[in-house]
Amino acid sequence: MKNEHHNDKHMNGETKSFLSFKLGEENFTVPVMKIMEILEVPKITRVPQSPNFLVGVINLRGAVLPVIDTRIKFGMTPIEFTINTCILVVSIEVNEEIIEVGALVDSVSEVFELNTEDIKPAPTLATRYRADYVQGMIHESDHFIMLLNIDKVFSSNDLESITEIKDNSQEEKNN
Amino acid sequence: MEEMKATYIQEANELLENLESSLLSLEDNPNDTSNIEQVFRVMHTLKGNSSMFGLSKIAEFVHDLETIYDKIRQGEMELTKEILNTTLASFDHLNLIIIDSDLEDEKNKENHVVLIHKIHGLIQGSTVSQAVVVPSEIAENTNATVIPDNVLRTYYVHFEPKTEFFLDGSNPLILVAELCQLGKYLVVPHFHKVTSIDDFNPTSCITFWEIYIESGGAKDKIDEVFVFAESNAKIEVVELTSSDLISNKEFAEKVQELKFKDQLIDRDVLFELAARLGKSIVPDLPILPAIDANELLAESKNTQKSETKEKVVSSIRVSSDKLDELMNLVSELVTTQASLTLYNQKNETPELELISENIEKLSRRLRDIAFGMTLVPINNMFSRFQRLVRDVSMALNKEVQFVTEGGETELDKSIIETLTDPLMHIIRNSLDHGLELPDVRERLGKPRKGTVKLKAFYSGISVYIQIIDDGKGIDVNVIREKAVSKGFIKSDDVLTDKEVFDFIFYPGFSTAAVVTDISGRGVGMDVVKRNISELKGSIVVESQVNIGTTLTIKLPLSLSIIDGLLVDVANVYYIIPLSVVDKCYEVDNFEMMNNFNQLLVLDEKQVPFINVRKEFGYEEMSNSEKSQIIVVSDADRRVGISVDHIVGEYQAVVKPIGKYYRNQDFISGATILGDGSIALVMDTHKIIDLYTEHAKFELKS
Repeated sequence: MKNEHHNDKHMNGETKSFLSFKLGEENFTVPVMKIMEILEVPKITRVPQSPNFLVGVINLRGAVLPVIDTRIKFGMTPIEFTINTCILVVSIEVNEEIIEVGALVDSVSEVFELNTEDIKPAPTLATRYRADYVQGMIHESDHFIMLLNIDKVFSSNDLESITEIKDNSQEEKNN
Repeated sequence: MEEMKATYIQEANELLENLESSLLSLEDNPNDTSNIEQVFRVMHTLKGNSSMFGLSKIAEFVHDLETIYDKIRQGEMELTKEILNTTLASFDHLNLIIIDSDLEDEKNKENHVVLIHKIHGLIQGSTVSQAVVVPSEIAENTNATVIPDNVLRTYYVHFEPKTEFFLDGSNPLILVAELCQLGKYLVVPHFHKVTSIDDFNPTSCITFWEIYIESGGAKDKIDEVFVFAESNAKIEVVELTSSDLISNKEFAEKVQELKFKDQLIDRDVLFELAARLGKSIVPDLPILPAIDANELLAESKNTQKSETKEKVVSSIRVSSDKLDELMNLVSELVTTQASLTLYNQKNETPELELISENIEKLSRRLRDIAFGMTLVPINNMFSRFQRLVRDVSMALNKEVQFVTEGGETELDKSIIETLTDPLMHIIRNSLDHGLELPDVRERLGKPRKGTVKLKAFYSGISVYIQIIDDGKGIDVNVIREKAVSKGFIKSDDVLTDKEVFDFIFYPGFSTAAVVTDISGRGVGMDVVKRNISELKGSIVVESQVNIGTTLTIKLPLSLSIIDGLLVDVANVYYIIPLSVVDKCYEVDNFEMMNNFNQLLVLDEKQVPFINVRKEFGYEEMSNSEKSQIIVVSDADRRVGISVDHIVGEYQAVVKPIGKYYRNQDFISGATILGDGSIALVMDTHKIIDLYTEHAKFELKS
């Protein structure tokens, strides 16, 4: 199973492109179609009194783009800016409305093609992340890549999810 | 064709809107002739437009309606409640069938027939009563028989425009064509005055006409056609016979003969001929098909049409997409101009400075003009409410006088669109819960008729809209008790009346004992508040028991470009709208430190202040430094806002910062500066509300 090659059995699924990126040591991926562009980190203007996962706003060629610290969104420590840090401009659909948002990630790894049949359902238990954030798992040599439901992760309605994550992480600590 | 149809529908909707407001004011004031004229004119235009697009069903329907109003206009009929109700019902029907012009919907079809029947009933009803009530009038019309179709008279019309007739854009052919619509006709054009081709001047009118016309109407119908041409032309109208001379073969031949000879008819010959032939009329086959008498009445009113046309010429229709595009370009221009100014400041080239300043002036003017174009008078919305008030008050058996004030106040079109629903809700509430039944009002010593007033006015960069009723008002104590019982507050909490009234806007908060189908379910006011907040506006309730309730909505004039003061706080740029800035001061920081009552003495006056660095969570400056205090006015308060430096004046193109920041609504948007960095636009009203509340809270705890 581990060494089985993806190309062997492709009867039904279709091949799609995905972009993988790193948050800390973990690998995540999203469909390339969702990514509008990848930016170097420009000057970010912080909006006062905003939740800490909202890093601020940037000037994207004349438009104002909110930027989110994806690490905080996943209950990790805030991002540390390095030469590899970049912003993924993702287009997400919230309440039938398309909005663009910048996602700060530690580094972008690669773009790869994958047959949709090779996406395994996410285990409902034993994940540190909210179940609805993870759409599936991709088994890649000796590690897993988590396929994110990007619309859910960055939906602006989810302000309350932050507290939930905080609570969860606190519970974890307590445990 | 589809595009044209869309234009037609758009125009028809506007006409109908116009019609509705006229009808409703007619209801209050049935004898207002100018309104009757207006109703007639609108119907006439609508009919014309409809038949132009071949929508004959609509055209015929409107034509019948128009007939009623024409009769009223002529004093042949009286405007009754029944007529008005039928007209309003027809109006609703028209609103539907404009889209469904072939009456494909069964319901529309049915309704159509019913209404036509009703309208015909009204028209006929009037002619019967007419005959009974004013027989003398008919008797006066010597030759008139009872059925108007049989009234035949032939007129000779001499129409000779002056040479300068064309200069004001008049077209004699239109008048001739209009005249010919009155009945059967013979037209003899004359070109005597045409000399040689060398003298020919295309701007002078040298043709004139002799027209023989058989008209069912009286002479004034003909006069009316020329009403605007009188001063510019020689016009003579003579009655030849009281019979149909045009259908007479001999007469027609004679005229034809003269026509070919291009000769003016000798008057004596003409009269002699008319007298001879007039007596012995042999009904011949009509040269032209006879035209319905109603049509005659209607068409003769074309003169009015030209009046309305003039109004239309003064404005043109531009699609809002184009305007949006213009606004975007202007916004970009303003941003680009800011970069230019910045570049110039760095490089200090004297020639460039001059150019840059000029461009700044121009872009400012361009911005103001482009803005002005997107503004529309609020009146359009007000007139829609007339109907609402009428229908709702009828359903509730209440007598209501609806007054609007300041309809000329202009607001951004998109704001007006978003505002309609909340306002409708508020008015419905006023009618249902605010105003009492007539008997109750009488007992309370109030006039039976309640008043709901809709008022709009400017103040600074804001527009205020007030909905004022003189109903039973809202009892502060009732709201308070309800808030306590819902657990919003504790029974011993100290709240101002304004704070208590704010509970009206809480979801699920209704004090109405009985839920009616009009209002009272407790959904709505929270939506109203939300809609208005989305427009960056605010809403305040004031009320006194038995005196009435006033809701005041404050809205920004426009959403996208503002004149602002660029400041910096902890190396973050902020924009404060210049319109609220009162005065700037410099103070030593230690004056603000440990200042428990949050007051500064400026110009010997105590001014409360907000320490922005502290409130926004930035590191505070050391005591020895100085801060700038910008005193802003907010309603009747003056509050100081502390910033590090004032950079200067700046035209900010405000862009939304997105839904993620909806809880940071004291920042109304962001703008991009000339160097590409971002400045946040402060909403001082919200900041003051937030941090003065905050201060209060701190004191309490």
